[in-house]
Amino acid sequence: MGDNMNYKKYDMGSFHLHVISTTRFKTVGLKVNFKRPAKKEEVTIRNFLNQILLESTNRYKSRRELALEVENLYNVSCGIRSSLSGNYLVTIFDALLLDEKYTEKGYMKKSIEFFLEMLLHPDVSNGAFRDDVFHLVKTNLINQIKSSSDAPTTYATEKMLEHLDANLPISYRIYGYLEDLEKITPQSLYEYYKNMIHSDEIDIFICGNVNPEEMKQLFQELFTINTLKRTRGSHYIKHKKVRKRSHSFIEKKNLKQSSLSIGCKLMPQSDFERFYVGYIYNIILGGGSNSKLFQVVREKHSLCYTIHSRYLNVNSLLLISAGINKEDYKKAVSLIKRQLKAMVQGNFTEEQLEQAKMIYISGCKELFDSPAAIINTYISYVYLNVDEVETRIQNIQKVTKEDVIKFAKNVYLDTIFLLEGDAHE
Amino acid sequence: MNKIELRGLDTYVYTEVLESGLQIFVVPNENVNKTYVTYSTKLGSVYDEFVPIGEKDFIKVPLGVAHFLEHKVFEQEDGTDPFEFFSSHGASANANTSNYKTTYLFQTTDDVKENLEYLLHYVESPYFTDENVEKEKGIIEQELLMYADDPYNVLYEMTLYNTFVEHPMKYSVGGTVESIHKITKEDLYTCYNTFYHPSRMFVVVTGNVKPEEIINIISEHESKRSILPAEPVKIKLVDEPDEVFKNHEERVMEVSIPKVTVAYKIRLDAFNDLSLRDIKIYLSQLFSLQFSDTSLYVEELKKKELIDDSFAINTVYTDTHAVIMISNETNYVNEVVKAIQEGVKQLHVTEEEVERMKKTLISSQIYMSDNIFRMNNFIMNCMIQDGEINTNKVEEIKKMNLKDMEYVLNNLDLSNSTVSVIQTPRKQK
Repeated sequence: MGDNMNYKKYDMGSFHLHVISTTRFKTVGLKVNFKRPAKKEEVTIRNFLNQILLESTNRYKSRRELALEVENLYNVSCGIRSSLSGNYLVTIFDALLLDEKYTEKGYMKKSIEFFLEMLLHPDVSNGAFRDDVFHLVKTNLINQIKSSSDAPTTYATEKMLEHLDANLPISYRIYGYLEDLEKITPQSLYEYYKNMIHSDEIDIFICGNVNPEEMKQLFQELFTINTLKRTRGSHYIKHKKVRKRSHSFIEKKNLKQSSLSIGCKLMPQSDFERFYVGYIYNIILGGGSNSKLFQVVREKHSLCYTIHSRYLNVNSLLLISAGINKEDYKKAVSLIKRQLKAMVQGNFTEEQLEQAKMIYISGCKELFDSPAAIINTYISYVYLNVDEVETRIQNIQKVTKEDVIKFAKNVYLDTIFLLEGDAHE
Repeated sequence: MNKIELRGLDTYVYTEVLESGLQIFVVPNENVNKTYVTYSTKLGSVYDEFVPIGEKDFIKVPLGVAHFLEHKVFEQEDGTDPFEFFSSHGASANANTSNYKTTYLFQTTDDVKENLEYLLHYVESPYFTDENVEKEKGIIEQELLMYADDPYNVLYEMTLYNTFVEHPMKYSVGGTVESIHKITKEDLYTCYNTFYHPSRMFVVVTGNVKPEEIINIISEHESKRSILPAEPVKIKLVDEPDEVFKNHEERVMEVSIPKVTVAYKIRLDAFNDLSLRDIKIYLSQLFSLQFSDTSLYVEELKKKELIDDSFAINTVYTDTHAVIMISNETNYVNEVVKAIQEGVKQLHVTEEEVERMKKTLISSQIYMSDNIFRMNNFIMNCMIQDGEINTNKVEEIKKMNLKDMEYVLNNLDLSNSTVSVIQTPRKQK
């Protein structure tokens, strides 16, 4: 697995450069990662910054000028987004370029230069972002924040997580909050930009048909930032306490379908449990169409179209969501509780266990199928200390039924939220 | 087995047609571990009136039958669950129905042979009973209600409903809660027997495979069924007028920002000098030029703060018409509708724009050829739209020119359009 691949890591002082060279693809993936401990009061300004960096630069004075250059560079696709990874706020600035073979000589350097222009040469004068651009992005953000909760399932999950533990970074709204938005000025945004560039931990990943030494020189020349940073603590969340009895609440909205969102806390686990047993537990419980939840709630009782569980390993959480009729609320919750209990009682077969392992392994095998996937795999090595893929495939085989039962005993049902659809037909 | 080259993409497609009429397409890619297999029939939601196999007269089936059938094909007489089979062989399976086709699929890194044989087996062994058909109605009803709460989906379906008068493209793929309750196991068997005949079906395999092996597995499996090729299914032709069904509709939903679509219904035979493929590309590019980030017109609208993001362009085709949908989210619905209507009157194109557009289109072909899912979709779309693989797409793009684009522009009739709006509960201004 991962044949014909060569990984090189360079310590560049203010950042680390990770080059994964392979001739397997027609495209080259590039990611510049920034990370720092997550703070609720920073998510809004971080999202603002993300958006304004893609709106104009020192050289390209409008979105239109940027878009024209993107097309001239064979539609080089650039994006930026932040996410919450356990205790950290991570911002990934990424690009996908074509292999030079399919374009023209000098394309690679030109594209990387263009990509870094957005990050390193913002449209700033007199210590502030340009006023008109600032205003444009702000209007856009107000709409984005307002409409980000329009999708019922997203809204249900957000609400549920805020009730589960509002101090947990995963419960922060990644697009930010209107009240925080009002406090941001073109000056404070630029101050924050400098702060991010100088104090975030930075890792740059590039994967494709590239020469490591050439990349090292290129980034030395183009990525000119002079500060030193050191890694701080772990990404992994440890919950302080659990509820003895789960907490449930309901909110009504003018919708045709009701969304059920359930959160469970996962208490202290060994690395083996966290990295292996948890995945197997989740696959058996609600990971796919063959899971207990899908088979019982959807197939046997026809209560829903979607139902699944998600294992948020870094956040020590297990989430369950389903779309149901409001009349079936009690029945659905009781069936779900029964499945959680069945896991504790070991009410699943060796066959299901083996199947779950296969699904896990199959997932591992595709971790090297595209430049973006390969980069994500390396990010997880660097940030999360996970085992290498080959080791994972061996270790997952060691998970026993007893391990899963033991894990199940540490799953604490915490919050049950129903977004009740009360639209009249 | 035939080997054809997708020129300019360093990619080869291996093809075979079996005696039964089943077509097979394999695009090997040894640089990935995964394999993606799709098994499709040319039955989509729009085929609601046809002559069943072995009969003479047209019948009409309830809306949403193709999608209902897709759910029920998973039902097996011996009680086995196809999802369970795939899971236990390391694969993940799914299915989907669109306007023109139904597709059963799986992706895997292991046991391609076993999974492929099983895919063929379960799709080819229908088992519908009154009881299992009844049970599915609850699940599909929940699926339809889920879509009915999605404002983007509602806007899209509203637009199509108001654009078409006769064509079944008017209706949602899943049908309605009312129509699905009318569906019987007889309807399902009629559609199944007519449309799930090998002559109307094709398999596309992309990923880490050897073409000969795949073709052997499929031909061996299919030869056991000894089915003879069938005549094409007679489908009721629809006489769709150029006018739209309704010019304007507004609905209120739980959204924070209103959403608007202006759709133009355009006759395809207005551009007879060009091939259908060229017409489609020119049409969608013409509108993109005016309504995307590279447009001066969009930049002006942003400066006036009428919009804060560029427009989304979506295109739908029937045999006779194209529907170009231009959408945005805005608090200034009336102004933005006017801006779209004004904007289409000013469509224009320059030599430089054509050249930039070609770079973008070519690069999208290269990205596509590096991705087994997009490649598989490309082959499926070729089969549904053209009935053959387009081996020359990159060359076709390179040949695009200002003269042809101006020809499309000059023959464009924009007099038939419809406006659809999703409003917030209380109108915001």
